[in-house]
Amino acid sequence: MSEVEKIEAELLGFLHREVFASNMAVTAETDLVAAGIDSMSLVRILLFVEMTHGLWIHEKEITTESLRNVRTLAATVARLLHER
Amino acid sequence: MNLTELLDETASRWPEKAAIVEGDTPVSYAGLVERVAAFSTRLRGFDLPPGCRVGLCYPNSIDYVALTFALWRNNAAVVPIPIECTDEESGTLAAAMQLQAVLSHKPLPQGTSLTPNCFFAPLTPATPPDNHGLNIAFIRFTSGTTNARKGVVLSHETVRDRVNVANRAFGIGPEDTVMWSLPMSHHFLITIVLYLSRGATIVLARQVLAGPFLDRVNRWRGTVLYGVPFQHALLAADGSGANLSSVRLAISTTCQLPQEVAENFSKRYHLPLVQALGIIELGLVSVNLDDPRGRWNSVGRPVGELRARILSPDAEGRGELAVSGPGLFDAYASPWLSRDEATSDGWFTTGDIGWLDADGFLFLAGRKTAVINLAGRKVFPEEIESVLNRHPAVRESRVHGRLHPHLGEVVEADLVLTKADADLEAVRDFCRAHLASYKVPTRLHVVSSLPRTVATGKIRRAVAVAAHE
Repeated sequence: MSEVEKIEAELLGFLHREVFASNMAVTAETDLVAAGIDSMSLVRILLFVEMTHGLWIHEKEITTESLRNVRTLAATVARLLHER
Repeated sequence: MNLTELLDETASRWPEKAAIVEGDTPVSYAGLVERVAAFSTRLRGFDLPPGCRVGLCYPNSIDYVALTFALWRNNAAVVPIPIECTDEESGTLAAAMQLQAVLSHKPLPQGTSLTPNCFFAPLTPATPPDNHGLNIAFIRFTSGTTNARKGVVLSHETVRDRVNVANRAFGIGPEDTVMWSLPMSHHFLITIVLYLSRGATIVLARQVLAGPFLDRVNRWRGTVLYGVPFQHALLAADGSGANLSSVRLAISTTCQLPQEVAENFSKRYHLPLVQALGIIELGLVSVNLDDPRGRWNSVGRPVGELRARILSPDAEGRGELAVSGPGLFDAYASPWLSRDEATSDGWFTTGDIGWLDADGFLFLAGRKTAVINLAGRKVFPEEIESVLNRHPAVRESRVHGRLHPHLGEVVEADLVLTKADADLEAVRDFCRAHLASYKVPTRLHVVSSLPRTVATGKIRRAVAVAAHE
C-alpha cells in the first residue's frame, strides 16, 4: 500500500466513523461537498489529519480541487507531508 | 405583542421583495407570509395550548424560518433542537425544557406529518411547564454544568428590544442582502428576525469552501457577511482574485478572531473584518464598527443603550464583564429563575473575562468558566465527562480545552482507566453514540490520577490548558 493509499484509507475510515451516517456509501471518489460536508465536518477532518500526522492543512490548501473527494484530499496531505 | 407582526409589517410594505433565497429560488415576503400561514393553519389542528413549548429540530431552510413564525402565530414558545444532537441529547433537552411537542425533519414515533419533510409529535413532560405569565417566544437550551440553570427564556417583547438594539449597530435595511451560513438552530433572533423585520434579503449559503461561497456572494450581490473566524480564514486564503465589492459589512462572531485572519482578510478584500460579541442572555452586546483595523482584536463598544463594566478589575484592568440594558433575558427555565433574581440592579454577570480601554472598546481574554469554544461551538466539559464516566473502562475523567492556533480550542480528555488494557477506540465509539460528534474529544490521554482541589476533593478544572503533550 502506498503512502497516499494509506492516508486515503485512514480518511475513509474516519469519515465513515465520525462524519457520515453509517448507511451512506462513501468511497474515495465520492464528491465530498455534494455529500454534505459542512463547516463543522471540515473542522473535524482537519483536526483528524492534525492528530494523525501532526499536520495542520493551511487554509490556502483547502480548495474545491483538494476537497473534491477523499483521493484528492489524501494526495494533498501526502504532498504537504513531503514538503514539510 | 407577537414577533409575527414584524414580518407581517415588512410583507405589507415590500410584498414583492425577495425575503429568502434558497438554491436559485427567491421567495418573496408575500410568499413567505403565505407559507407561514399554511403551516400555521396545519399547526392549529393540533390544538397547542397558549405558551406551549415546542422543540424545533430542522435544517437551515426557508421552512425553518416559516415553521418558527408559524409556531409564534400559534402562541407557542420555540425551543431549537440542533440537528446534530443525538437522540439521547434531544431527549435530555426535551425533558429539561418540559417540551409539550416537537417538530422535526426526522420521522417521529406517534408522529403526524405536517409536510412530507416535517413531522409533529406531542410530548408529555413529567410536570407541566409554568411560564410564570411571560409571553415566551423562545427558549434557548444551554447544557451547561450540572448545577447551572438550563434554558434562557426570551419573551416576544425582549426579542423585539434586542432586534432594535442590534440594528443600531448593523443598520440593516431593505437594500441589504445578507449571506447566511450559520446554523439557524444556534443563531436566529438578532440575525434572521432582524433581517426580516427590516426588509432585507437573506441568501442561504451553505458553501463551505471559499470559491463557491464567493461565487454565491457575487451572484446575489451580498452586502453583509456574518460568520465565524474559520470561514473567514478560508476566505482570506482564497487565491482566485474574486472580490467582495458588493459587501459593506463583514462580521466575525462566536470566537476570537486570529490576527493573521483579520489582517489577511482585510488585505485580500480591502474590507475590515468586524468583531461582534453576542451573548445568549443579552443578544448583541458590542460590535467593533469604529476601529476594526486599528483595534482588530476588540469586540468594540457596547451597542445602543447597553452598558458594560468590568467587575473587580486586577492591576491590568481585567475582570469579569457585566452588562446591562434593553434585551436582557427574561428568566432561566430550569430551575426557573427570574431576570430580577439572576441579575443585580439590572447588571448581568457574563462569565467572560475582559477589559475596557480608555475609549470604551471591549477586549476579551477568556472565560471564567471551563466552557470550551471549538470554532465557535460551545462545549461543556461536565456533559462530556458524564458520558465518559458511564463507560466501564473509565474510572474518572476530566475534559478540557487545548488552545489551538486556528480553531480557538479543541476538546481533549484525561482518563483514569479501570484496567490498563482498555480499548480507547471503544471509549470514543461510546462517546460518538451519546454525544453530537463535535463534542467527542479529539484526544484521550490516559493518566494515573486527576488533579483535585485540596479543600473539596473535587476535580480541578483548568481553563484552556496549553501545550498538553
